[in-house]
Amino acid sequence: MSILKNGREVAILGVGMHRFGLWPDSTNADMSRVAGLAALKDAGLSFKDVDAAYVGQIFAPVMAGVRVMKEFGLTGLPVQRLDNASATGSACLYEAVGSVASGRYDVAMVLGFDKMTGIVADSSANTDPANLEDAILPAAFFAMWATRRMHERGTKPEHLAKIAAKNWHNGGLNPMAQRQPDKPVPIEKVLSSRMVAWPMTTMMSCPIGDGAACAIVGPVELAKKLNPGRPIVKVVASALQSERYDRGHLFMGPVVGPGRMTVDTSAVCYEQAGLGPKDIDLVQVHDAFAIEELEYYELLGICGKGEAEACIDRGDFELGGRVPFSTDGGLIARGHPGGPTGLAQIWETTLQLRGEAGKRQVANARNGICHMMGGGSVCVMHILQKG
Amino acid sequence: MSGTARARRPLKQGYFTVPENPAEPPKLMGTVCKDCGEYFFPKRVVCAKCLSENTADAMLGPQGTLYSYTFVHFPLFGSTKVEHSTGYGVGQVDLPEGPRVQVPLAGKQEDFKVGMPLVAELDPIREDGDKDVVILRFAPVAGGAK
Repeated sequence: MSILKNGREVAILGVGMHRFGLWPDSTNADMSRVAGLAALKDAGLSFKDVDAAYVGQIFAPVMAGVRVMKEFGLTGLPVQRLDNASATGSACLYEAVGSVASGRYDVAMVLGFDKMTGIVADSSANTDPANLEDAILPAAFFAMWATRRMHERGTKPEHLAKIAAKNWHNGGLNPMAQRQPDKPVPIEKVLSSRMVAWPMTTMMSCPIGDGAACAIVGPVELAKKLNPGRPIVKVVASALQSERYDRGHLFMGPVVGPGRMTVDTSAVCYEQAGLGPKDIDLVQVHDAFAIEELEYYELLGICGKGEAEACIDRGDFELGGRVPFSTDGGLIARGHPGGPTGLAQIWETTLQLRGEAGKRQVANARNGICHMMGGGSVCVMHILQKG
Repeated sequence: MSGTARARRPLKQGYFTVPENPAEPPKLMGTVCKDCGEYFFPKRVVCAKCLSENTADAMLGPQGTLYSYTFVHFPLFGSTKVEHSTGYGVGQVDLPEGPRVQVPLAGKQEDFKVGMPLVAELDPIREDGDKDVVILRFAPVAGGAK
């Protein structure tokens, strides 16, 4: 199997980021220029070499995609803007990978950016006094995952706090992370931080933020030519799915899931890559809230059903553990501005597979999963492999 | 309930009934597929299960079973009620006809338990002239909580 029947093999040629954080004085164009130029430099390419651009943003105004791309020059290349909620950057990559695999383009630039600081200044911007669904915050939605899990499996708030503390720790090792604690974050501190929606506290939740991230994709043959001494990072699986109907489907509220989406999407990816969960060395997931990461351990098949809590207690998903998750801090610590989030996962996994992840380096990393959920909802997943 | 009930209007039309009699619980306004029999909330035209367009309006509830819940520690948006200023319960509620809905819950964190029986009620969140603006929420059935 491959991503496309008779398609070309695709590689991540280069990656770049603007650190996620609260940057009220930087524009989307500023952050995108930093991330994009870094990715081109990393690839060893000039913007003249880029055949097409896929730009992802959630909160930026109309026209922002094509206008931000002018930062790199005006070459007439096709520019497309995409939005798929939290999975926006990942959805852009999915399109870019398909276009290179099919032979339509050789070099595609995938850029994600967003600024949430402006939205918070005007906190009523996204709510309507007549909207029934405004009572259901994303935090409440995921808190109900946690309550249900606690009911079925005896999960404790401490398990969620351990996941969050791990991700805060990893963020401290990532220069691009929004949250970079300079000392270990105790589990008690996570538990005693402000309650958002029981049992989820602020420190178990991702922050709002600003940032940009970029990946350049192209055929594997080109990757070999551009950087002969460097490990090639292949995209061996790329899949995007929306929901299938099952009884009990939630049609209203900030819905992500159901869990079956991750199971189904990962099955497609494992088949494309010719891999199974046992072959995976590191994983980035949509850990907007700690309970999500816990569920994805099982839904991706990295541990068995009902085993997540025991695995957490053993440290299986920490750096140095069996299969490290959210090695860059995840959405909880690296941050989740929206458009660029999925591409930050690609940045992290690419560095890991090249052996360039510094203090976060996963030993002998060969296969990495990048998994995102987008509200509504969609699941987007890629598997990157050291070539 | 006081003797003279104020007139009520829904926060949004088309989602739940507002009975004339304040003692009568509201119903949820959904859809049934006349081909495969699946029920949906909110209303829709095309059956999400079998894709048939042979669908009809259906009244759902007012009973429900609590599938999961949380208590949100923020004020309820759009409400001027003191009760809502420090937070509010939210639940995923399974209706007897099949659909699962996400709605506010009446009560505090400790009042909720997965699997408990609930019943729909109307909750006034603010005033609009001489009318109360109401939302639909579910409340534990009196004597039903363990």
